[in-house]
Amino acid sequence: MKSLLLLLGLSIIPGIISDSICQPPIDELVHSLDQLYRSDDSYAEMSMHIVTPHWERTLTMKAWSLGIDKTFIRILSPAREAGMASLRIGTEMWNYLPNTSSTVRIPSSMMAGSWMGSDITNNDIVREITYADDYTYSYTTDTTLTGVQTDGVVYIELFPKSSTAVVWSGIVFAVRIEDTMPLWEKYYDSHGDLIKTVTYSDVQEMDGRIIPAQMQVIPADKEDQSTTITWSHAEFNRGLDTSIFSLSNLQSGE
Amino acid sequence: MLLKLAWRNVFRQKRRTILTLLTMTGGFFLSSLSIGWMDGSYSSIIMFFTNNRTGQIQVHHEGYLEDPSIYSTVSDYQVVGAFLDSIPGVRGWAPRIYSGALLAVRPRGAGSGNVFSNSAAASVIGIDPAMEEAATDFSDRIVIGEMLTASAADTSYTATGQIILGKELSIILCASVGDSLVMLSQAADGSSADRMYVIRGIVSTGNADIDRNTCYITLSDAQILFTLEGKVHEIAVMTGSLGAVDELTGIISTGLSGRDLETDSWKTFAKEFYNGMKADEVQLKVTIFIIVLVAAMGVLNTILMMVLERRREFGVMKAIGTRPGFIVRMIVLEANIMGIISVIVGSIISTAGLLFLSKHGLVMDPPLDYGGTVFREMIASITPECYWIPAICVIITASTVSFLPALKAAHTKAAKTMRTV
Repeated sequence: MKSLLLLLGLSIIPGIISDSICQPPIDELVHSLDQLYRSDDSYAEMSMHIVTPHWERTLTMKAWSLGIDKTFIRILSPAREAGMASLRIGTEMWNYLPNTSSTVRIPSSMMAGSWMGSDITNNDIVREITYADDYTYSYTTDTTLTGVQTDGVVYIELFPKSSTAVVWSGIVFAVRIEDTMPLWEKYYDSHGDLIKTVTYSDVQEMDGRIIPAQMQVIPADKEDQSTTITWSHAEFNRGLDTSIFSLSNLQSGE
Repeated sequence: MLLKLAWRNVFRQKRRTILTLLTMTGGFFLSSLSIGWMDGSYSSIIMFFTNNRTGQIQVHHEGYLEDPSIYSTVSDYQVVGAFLDSIPGVRGWAPRIYSGALLAVRPRGAGSGNVFSNSAAASVIGIDPAMEEAATDFSDRIVIGEMLTASAADTSYTATGQIILGKELSIILCASVGDSLVMLSQAADGSSADRMYVIRGIVSTGNADIDRNTCYITLSDAQILFTLEGKVHEIAVMTGSLGAVDELTGIISTGLSGRDLETDSWKTFAKEFYNGMKADEVQLKVTIFIIVLVAAMGVLNTILMMVLERRREFGVMKAIGTRPGFIVRMIVLEANIMGIISVIVGSIISTAGLLFLSKHGLVMDPPLDYGGTVFREMIASITPECYWIPAICVIITASTVSFLPALKAAHTKAAKTMRTV
């Protein structure tokens, strides 16, 4: 799955002019995926709906990002978590817990753990990788990876470079040629087994950018479980106060 | 007459008899001690392991052992506990909740404020302090500080609770008794579970791996934190005797049938530990076999020597009409008389040795590490097996190894033997 930072981060999608017959240049397409949610800075309001066989809940939150290395997320609801916040600077991450008025550093051993009980990990939030720089990629027509192929959609196979520290061995992206919007991405382990599927939907314009406003993460090994993030509002490149990304702001509870 | 003759023969050549008796008695003594040592060591290891941590029997929700999940709970554990209390042979039981969490403490020194940056992942075990103490003597293992009290005064998750850390975990966190600690986890309803604790004690279970990543809070705190009110993940049952475990497991399992619960003995839930011990048992049995074999070779040697020395005697017996079968029976009986004497003498010496080892034990240097649990002293136990197994080995060995020399003696040529010897 692409990091939440990428999803929260922002920039204008370069318009890739293509038709439904020809495959667009792959370098440009991968670059457009990298820039899908990225920008110099961003602010977003979103909800995260988590479904498991045992419970179902929705969190609402506000998120700020600056470049690719700073992220700040504040939980607004439900009441038990309201005021909780996560601050990420580079590869360091802290959580603020209003019940105990304390700020806790997340150790590296917990980075693979779930963030707020969702199917998104702490690692997904702090990851600073890009598809263009940290993966090798090519178009694929292998239907064992892509399933039934659809007209007007291209399929890209990405393999992490040896220097890229990720737990999966490959990603397959399905991208609509018409508007270069991703439809889904699938993550595979070294045995070729599916780890998770991320689907993108509800493409709409937000602050002048076209982005999928909904993203759903479905882990392959957990039946009837998913996490759906829905953007309700987003602002890009408006200029942010850098003090947002500080421990004092984290502990302010606002 | 045969018995009388054999008895007299045994004591006719005292030096030879003493040599044979020494070999047989030595074999008995070593075998007996090995068995007592094996039984005692393994019993003490198993009891130490189970009493300290797991109990001899555990009750879980069905499937919990294969897939431990926060949702697989025993919901009516008080009812199950009342049933356990009614079973003779159950010494105690302890309800527990298991989960994982992030623990964090403030770094030492000024200026850290409310930033808890010394953090580590840990297993959280919710225990009922009084029941855990009664079942496992938990407080004996607290090296600094004190045991948890029955319950924090206010168990709401906004109140400060009590926590005990494993010794190695406290070192990792640079935390000590009296420090504040924040725990962050996820409750069974999916919500974030966080709470402030004061470290009440540091525990050393003897297993560094466990102490490196385990902390303990009260059961009531754990039930509130993880939204598991009235539920537990495990009921550890103490029997006080390993011999009763299988029978009690059956009784409990039958009594709890129809409740979606499973009852397992330590052989199942501590399978790796059990298999390791079984493998060691095989090694020790091979050792005992070698001891018996060496003793048998000694006995064979001395009986062969005895037959050689008494060739003239057998020749005379044959000359006056003694049947070969009589000579065979006589020699085998002589060996068996010596075997019985060895068993009696060996039993006395072995009892003394076993009594000594059962009281004083042997200090293990370096200590024996068994599945992460360190044992510094091993003691022997005195069981019927310490006597009847070596006794049977000695008697069978005496009969078997004396048979061939006896056949040789029985076929002595009377005239030739009397002429040449």
